[in-house]
Amino acid sequence: MSATPMLEVRDLAARVGGQDVLKGISLSVAPGEVHAIMGPNGSGKSTLAYVLAGRPGYEVTAGSASFEGRDLLTLAPEERARAGLFLGFQYPVEIPGVNNAYLLKAALNAARRERGQSELDAFEFLQLVRSKTQLMHIDESFLGRGVNEGFSGGEKKRNEILQMLVLDPKLALLDETDSGLDIDALKVVANGVNSLRNPARSIVLVTHYQRLLDYIVPDFVHVLARGRIVRSGDRTLALELERRGYDWLAGQAAA
Amino acid sequence: MSLPATAAVSRSSVLDRVFADFNRVAAELPGDAAAHAARARAAAQLRELGWPSARDEQWRYANLRAFDRLGGFGPHAAGAPDPAATLAALRGRLELPPALPGFERLIYLDGVHVEGTHPALHTGAAAIVWPAEQRLGLLCDMFATDAAHLRLRGESALEIVFVGSGRASARAAYPRLQLRCEPGSRVSLIERHLGVAADAAAPASLVAMNLTIELARGAALTHYRLQQCARQTLFADTLSARLEEHARYAVRSVAVGAGSARTSARVQLAGRGATLAWHGIAVGRGEQVHDVTLKVEHEAPETATEELFRGIADERARVAFSGHIRIDARAPGAQTRQSLRGLIEGAAAEIDLRPRLEILTDEVRATHGATTGRLDEDLLFYMLARGIDRSTARALLKWAFLSDALREIELPALRAEAERLAAGQLPDVPDLGAPQ
Repeated sequence: MSATPMLEVRDLAARVGGQDVLKGISLSVAPGEVHAIMGPNGSGKSTLAYVLAGRPGYEVTAGSASFEGRDLLTLAPEERARAGLFLGFQYPVEIPGVNNAYLLKAALNAARRERGQSELDAFEFLQLVRSKTQLMHIDESFLGRGVNEGFSGGEKKRNEILQMLVLDPKLALLDETDSGLDIDALKVVANGVNSLRNPARSIVLVTHYQRLLDYIVPDFVHVLARGRIVRSGDRTLALELERRGYDWLAGQAAA
Repeated sequence: MSLPATAAVSRSSVLDRVFADFNRVAAELPGDAAAHAARARAAAQLRELGWPSARDEQWRYANLRAFDRLGGFGPHAAGAPDPAATLAALRGRLELPPALPGFERLIYLDGVHVEGTHPALHTGAAAIVWPAEQRLGLLCDMFATDAAHLRLRGESALEIVFVGSGRASARAAYPRLQLRCEPGSRVSLIERHLGVAADAAAPASLVAMNLTIELARGAALTHYRLQQCARQTLFADTLSARLEEHARYAVRSVAVGAGSARTSARVQLAGRGATLAWHGIAVGRGEQVHDVTLKVEHEAPETATEELFRGIADERARVAFSGHIRIDARAPGAQTRQSLRGLIEGAAAEIDLRPRLEILTDEVRATHGATTGRLDEDLLFYMLARGIDRSTARALLKWAFLSDALREIELPALRAEAERLAAGQLPDVPDLGAPQ
């Protein structure tokens, strides 16, 4: 294991809309690891993802979070993204009028500038994006359309993964990327995520169902309930949850 | 009379100045632009109607106070330096792109024709009677120094550029355009207003323009309007259009210039099957005021209106749009769609959208919507989470807000220019619309 974790969260507590949602989360993710965060609805899974990505309105009340040793919580959301953190949204927004390719190119070049790389011109950009669209089974014509405009739920999720593939982040937080996907789309999404797995990159999957983990096999599984991690284990924990349900662990959250 | 006396004094003093200036210059005004008798009739009508008041619903959002700050109403005097030489001297300071291919370009300087020709161009315009909500049109009828009169047949494309020189002697300009599109004609018209900034200490100058447009049976006119006057300008345009059977009038209007701007427009759909598509954008920054009133009168069966307005008010700007659609008893089968949207960017900015639908017959299809809001924080966060910096993200969202109006500008070069004017410069946009 590398000396500096990719993500180090300590006793993190956060409040949303006046409610304490996270009540002391600790989590350490090393480079190359894939962690799954599971839990029932309302357990705080998405809140954790949003807090780490810096969404306004998600107020950190205690604890810390660092990304490659840098204090994550003092960075603006766009700085976190440029530093290599990617949030895959549970509900990707539609932005009619801004085309997908434009957003993607602006995002990629912002990240490249941050890394001291030269910006890609239109031709280089298209070459790069084309191979990724094929991997994600996305028709190239989607690039010229408004961001997620008129996309089906599955298309939006595949588009999130396409963005991730193009942006090549160090840490990917995928918030319920599997929700609303049929089995074929799920395989495409999992395939895209797996193509990014390497010893230098970390992935945190937030999911309600263990089904996704049949295709993206995690190194660690954590169960979140009522704002706390109530159990951690390897992938067999997910299988056990599948069998016994979340109620099995619900009592432990109160403890 | 509970009104403060000062308000009444101020209103009448504007009118007093108008008549004082008119009496001083009337004898020297050219008779070919407007007959002296017609000028006098316009003056009499203005006297009868009085100066508009902010108490009147139709004038509530116009920046009438800006008229108090004008240097004067008399037009740029004849016998001043050669206008062609003046234009040549200004050219380097004007943001005037080359003429589009296929478009003939006419240039007017402070309301006077100086460059370009068109075979259908004549001088002179017939007087028309302006209703009270268009009474500022009377100023141009009184003071006009030139008048472009065009009767177009077949296919034609032309651009008319109205340049404000910012010269101290040019305190007011009165462009005047009368256009008749003959039966079956296909016309593209670009109307562009731009100006050179006068020095900040100079009093505001006035551009008061009249347009009268007639579309004969089956004629189609696409009318692009770009208003990018200098900030010291008070811009007031009065437009009246009348459409006969199956005529089609499309307006693509982009207003970003002038300190204060007021558009008073009226479109009569007088013949069966006549259609209007009015797509307008106004972007205000600083202390700018944009006020548009558009009245559409459906007077014949199966007439149609599509009205779309997108306004952005930044900083302390005010943007107002009043869209009144009247479908009278002669217009069964009429269809209207109205979509008005405002985006408030500045903390002290203001948007006022007033849709009004008046239906006096059965069998019409009418939809309308008017919404005003701020930039959607969820959309903004999505872009930030992709690493896009805040100012680019905001610019992109403003651009997106305007996009459904901008995409109606069919001429790509003009659309790109309008996008730049309205949303600001964005880094290179990959155009993926065309197959590779």
